[in-house]
Amino acid sequence: MKYAAPIAIGLLMFSSLPIMLSAAAKPKNAAKSATVSVNAPCDSCHGANGEGMAAAHVPRIAGQSAEYLKKQLDDYASGARENPIMANFAKALSEAQREEFAKRYAAMSGPYLRELVPTPQELARGHQLAYQGDESRRVQSCNGCHGPDGSGVAHAAPYIAGQSAEYIGSALKAFQTGTRKNDAGEQMRSVAMRLEDADIVAVSAYFSNQKLSNPSKEHP
Amino acid sequence: MTQRLKEVDVVIIGVGLVGTMVAKELAAAGYKVVGLERGQTRATVPEFQSPGIHDELRFDVRKALMQDNTREPVTFRNQGSQVALPVRRWESFLPGTGLGGSMVHWNGQTYRFQANDFQLATRTRERYGKKFLDADLTIQDWGVTYDELEPHYDRFEYLLGTSGKAGNIKGQIQPGGDPHESPRSRDYPTPPQKEHYQGALFRKGATSLGYHPLPQPSSNLSQPYTNPEGLKLNTCVFCGFCERYACEHYAKSVPQTVLLPVLLANPNFELRTGCQVQRINLDSTKKHATGVTYIDAVGREFEQPASLVITSTFAINNIRMLLLSSIGKPYDPATGQGVVGRNYAYQTMSTVASFFDEDVIINPFMASGASGTLINDFAGDNFDHSGLGFVGGAFIGAVNTNGRPIQYHPTPPGTPNWGKAWKQAVLKHYNHTVMLSLHGSSMAARQNYADLDPTYRDAWGQPLLRITFDFPQNDLKMAAYVTAKGVEIGKAMGAKQVAGSPRKGPYTVTQYQTTHNTGGTVMGDNPKTSVVNRYLQAWDVPNVFVIGASNYPQQASWNPTGTLGALTYWAIDALKNKYLKNPGRLVSA
Repeated sequence: MKYAAPIAIGLLMFSSLPIMLSAAAKPKNAAKSATVSVNAPCDSCHGANGEGMAAAHVPRIAGQSAEYLKKQLDDYASGARENPIMANFAKALSEAQREEFAKRYAAMSGPYLRELVPTPQELARGHQLAYQGDESRRVQSCNGCHGPDGSGVAHAAPYIAGQSAEYIGSALKAFQTGTRKNDAGEQMRSVAMRLEDADIVAVSAYFSNQKLSNPSKEHP
Repeated sequence: MTQRLKEVDVVIIGVGLVGTMVAKELAAAGYKVVGLERGQTRATVPEFQSPGIHDELRFDVRKALMQDNTREPVTFRNQGSQVALPVRRWESFLPGTGLGGSMVHWNGQTYRFQANDFQLATRTRERYGKKFLDADLTIQDWGVTYDELEPHYDRFEYLLGTSGKAGNIKGQIQPGGDPHESPRSRDYPTPPQKEHYQGALFRKGATSLGYHPLPQPSSNLSQPYTNPEGLKLNTCVFCGFCERYACEHYAKSVPQTVLLPVLLANPNFELRTGCQVQRINLDSTKKHATGVTYIDAVGREFEQPASLVITSTFAINNIRMLLLSSIGKPYDPATGQGVVGRNYAYQTMSTVASFFDEDVIINPFMASGASGTLINDFAGDNFDHSGLGFVGGAFIGAVNTNGRPIQYHPTPPGTPNWGKAWKQAVLKHYNHTVMLSLHGSSMAARQNYADLDPTYRDAWGQPLLRITFDFPQNDLKMAAYVTAKGVEIGKAMGAKQVAGSPRKGPYTVTQYQTTHNTGGTVMGDNPKTSVVNRYLQAWDVPNVFVIGASNYPQQASWNPTGTLGALTYWAIDALKNKYLKNPGRLVSA
């Protein structure tokens, strides 16, 4: 499995950025208007049902825990997590709006996008890292924090089951290289720095091939 | 038939914390080292991974990580006039087994003892007079001083990456640390863990009474750390499953995370698991060890000859190993003569339960094994004992380690032990209670000791260890005094109801207290009152070193592991730089 070059696609997608931003920047609308117009700026990339856009490395956020989504929006707004596109959106939102968006996507159940087909070897290695870890790399199991079958633990860790391989891969790479550092206690950086590229491909492919068996939103 | 193996330089009995440290250093120095471990090999992956490792029934209730007492229990009695019976289910204390030893299931509380502790007998008599101590106490100096151990404490803390705040660096008092501590050469390698809410409540209450709260020194780490051996540890996630469990997260400092990978990579070291050592073998002079005899997991008996024998099993098992090997004179409480088994001590634990209103949310499950807040104002000799009639003390702290569902059920006094009323009380109080621990010293006494049981034997036909122990009056007086102080703190914290439970006798082996069994092979400078000299070398058999909390002449107010690590590095230093260069007695008797 190989990743397509995502950046060009991603930039194309955001050519309509100023329009979306102005829509999001009106708190009065956000307070009373219908879901569609409020979601519009997010929909363009994250999909009408939060399914994400795998090819552009845009994550699936449907059914993701509201606490996790809120923290990411807060971190984009404060600069703790860096992404020029998301920063522009998040900074334009009030804290109450960020919470509103987080809750809205947490309540969705979008479809799963699977654009890459893992190899049997990737599935096997991914399963090992997910359930057991690897002593030779001093890497513990993913599910130890990300919950049963990678389904997430509200308040603590996002679901990764059913997430796109492209997004998981780029997130792990960002932690590995230190361009993303909003993980509590450097937990993800500590893990990602010990993974080989092939491990990242395998574990991303493995989780993208799973379904959210037990969504975190069901755990209060 | 016993198969005789090829001689090696060093054989180590028990590959836990001490065994790993000694083996690593001696193998690195070029010696051929064999480590004999009775349990199984195990690693963070796969053995310690969740969700399996968070099984409270398996690990907490059924003690899955502990010494197999269907095959190798101990027997116990309170007094010499009683018949001891085997402990068929561990409760009071929990000796571990398997690679990494008991440290695998520790809480990570990493204290130093104070300078006073190492010269307790001398300093107590100097400060309070020769008649101050109760007649039954047999406390004594260690034969080593704090200043001698300080570099080794430092090295051990940096091996573990311990998270804490210094209170005294080279005589300069540091704000936020323990002003009572003996001087340390530098701060802890990592800053303290985050303070939980019960710790913050305790800090406020203790401060209002003029005491000096400090963050508990923790080897569940506050941030990523790479130790001097090149091994990387992660940040603790406060899962609340430290004590009695192994850490799935590479965040708790145990042999597997801080040292074993380096040892196991050294071709000078050979690990053999499933090996039950029967005895250390002596030559006809009884002054020289020739090696050990062990039985492997399929019942074959081997003799492993070695030039040097280190016994580094859990404290009480070190006592038994010497008794089974006829090394040192067994202690006789009737005459006070003999040394092996003498000065067995423990820890004197009391509690103060502070019950708050329902708007005070404690969330006790968010904790590590050492993320609490405590005071040392009533520990050791940090307060004036004149007129109190006891020596020793306790640290007092909000140091609760978990809120696990099966075993954490704080209820006020008078609550029924079962039924609807009990359930209602648990619901009401679970998330609104702070359990303060009072972690008290344990003074050695003439009547407390360990010897071989005359009746009961283990699965290999060897006599069990028999422990005879009850709390000396000294320690019960200490518990009553310090618990009263703890109750005052609970009230100052704003609790609506405060219930102090000072430890009372008789000691029971059926209730968990601590796994801080100490003494029985104590160190010292007099062969009549100690088993090993100040370098932990057996007085009677100079090529046997005995290392463990069994070396402590009495137990101080703090958890023993930090001091054990320091003593081990101290002994390693003597082995490498003195003994192995010129084998023989390091101290003349």
